[in-house]
Amino acid sequence: MFARSPSSTLAIEAEGLNKRFGNVQALQGFSLSLRPGEALGLIGTNGAGKSTALKLLQGLRVPDSGRAAIFGQPAGSSGAKSRVGITPQNADFPEQMTPREMLSYAAAHFQTPKPMTELIEAFGLNRIIDRRMGGFSGGESRRVALALAFVGNPLLVFLDEPTSGLDTDGQEMFQAYARAYADAGGSLLLTSHHWDEIEQICDRIVMIDQGKQILEGALDDIRRRAGRSRVSFAMAEDTDLPAWLIEGFTFDSGRWHAIAADSDALVRRLIRDLPRCRDLQITPLDLKETVAQLRKELAA
Amino acid sequence: MMPLFRANLALTFKGLIRLPGFWVPTILFPAMLYAFFGAHNAGEGPQAVYAVASFAVYAVLGVAFFQFGVSIAEDRQSAFATWQRSLPGGPAPIWAARLCAALVFSTAAVLLVLVAAAVVGGLSLDPATQLRLLAACLLLAVPATFMGTALGYLVSGHSAVAIANLVFLPQAYLGGLWVPPQSLPAQIDAISHWTPTRHMGEVAWAVVGATPIPPASLLAVAVFTVGFIALTWVAYHRDRRRRFS
Repeated sequence: MFARSPSSTLAIEAEGLNKRFGNVQALQGFSLSLRPGEALGLIGTNGAGKSTALKLLQGLRVPDSGRAAIFGQPAGSSGAKSRVGITPQNADFPEQMTPREMLSYAAAHFQTPKPMTELIEAFGLNRIIDRRMGGFSGGESRRVALALAFVGNPLLVFLDEPTSGLDTDGQEMFQAYARAYADAGGSLLLTSHHWDEIEQICDRIVMIDQGKQILEGALDDIRRRAGRSRVSFAMAEDTDLPAWLIEGFTFDSGRWHAIAADSDALVRRLIRDLPRCRDLQITPLDLKETVAQLRKELAA
Repeated sequence: MMPLFRANLALTFKGLIRLPGFWVPTILFPAMLYAFFGAHNAGEGPQAVYAVASFAVYAVLGVAFFQFGVSIAEDRQSAFATWQRSLPGGPAPIWAARLCAALVFSTAAVLLVLVAAAVVGGLSLDPATQLRLLAACLLLAVPATFMGTALGYLVSGHSAVAIANLVFLPQAYLGGLWVPPQSLPAQIDAISHWTPTRHMGEVAWAVVGATPIPPASLLAVAVFTVGFIALTWVAYHRDRRRRFS
């Protein structure tokens, strides 16, 4: 179903990438490696340098210094491009063309393209495959853009905000396909503001801020490093709460929440001071909370 | 290379053919203008034949300016064109397909002028003259195309149509393509000799008049061609530096 990556060479190997636009240092000594078969989430706030990093890796921009290679080939070289699939963040396709024509066009650039029927099925293009794209909604265009990334049966896929504008069905369809692609040995670099999507698809994340990598690791390792859990409980509204609780907890959706390094100690204290608390829960932090926590610690 | 060329050819032609707003005016307008003004102003005799050649050159110029000039300027701002850069294969097949399309649309535009000459102007140019004129026009499409590409890389997509018209229409007038050069005011005629369109016109007029092409005009067309290629090269690299370095 999917092309397999050669296991000996890194899918992406970038070292010391620097890029400046006028007064703005978009990337500072940015390094990244991606093993074949690995799915990596590149995260960061708007303007952190994610798009610049992607452009350098895709060969759409030239770094001021540093080097980037794709399966050992210089980024942007013909050898690199033939192994890569890209979905554009903003897909302004020619309005007069149909998705079928666009997929055929892209397929002509690759040695062993994917069967079109597989892509039509995987990205739910059946209804729109022969319609001109002029009147497409954002979600429909996005589905075509995603299919285009995979049409060349690539060893590595760059996905820049892949599901922005996509409905829930489309998001689920894409996430299943991307995960299956990585499980089958495909390499994937994803940027997204949807944390759940990164958790769903990626094995590892790299966080970038002001052009620098500030956090890197496998998702499980990152959770362990944060070493925190969420403690929450419900309480009758007329209960007087102790001051320590009001300071340390937040109230949201009918429950009191706190993030704790030592959740056992906190629970013991809650039971001692608030015997009437109900539905006490200890849950692991989600990725967004974990990263926020680690960032706080890094800043401190 | 051939599959890529075929793929780009299909993309280019389907894109253009399904956009009547582009091709109808581009190939129809020169014939229409000839039918409304050119045929009537030229009267009869050799001037009538020269008018056909003038409007044939004007037709080629229109395709070059609007297919290359405007479309390149618009492409430079499109995310789709950036995505195309991420595909293996390089820009050569894209360019070859565009050139092919330009030649086909130029041929169609020139043929429509010839049809208008027969139907409206009542001229019966012999087939050999028509073929010579068509061949000359396709050769003249080379400098015209590079004029268009230079413009396409120099101006932004938003201003491309306005600037293309601003260059194209005065070029047509100054070159004597709408009004015979003999009828141009003396000062305009003096300027006319410095325009590429005047020398393109001289080549086409000599072809239909079965007279030798003035060597000065041949040289001027060659110099302008080299100049526009150089300008395109400089503008292309400047654009690449801005967008991709």
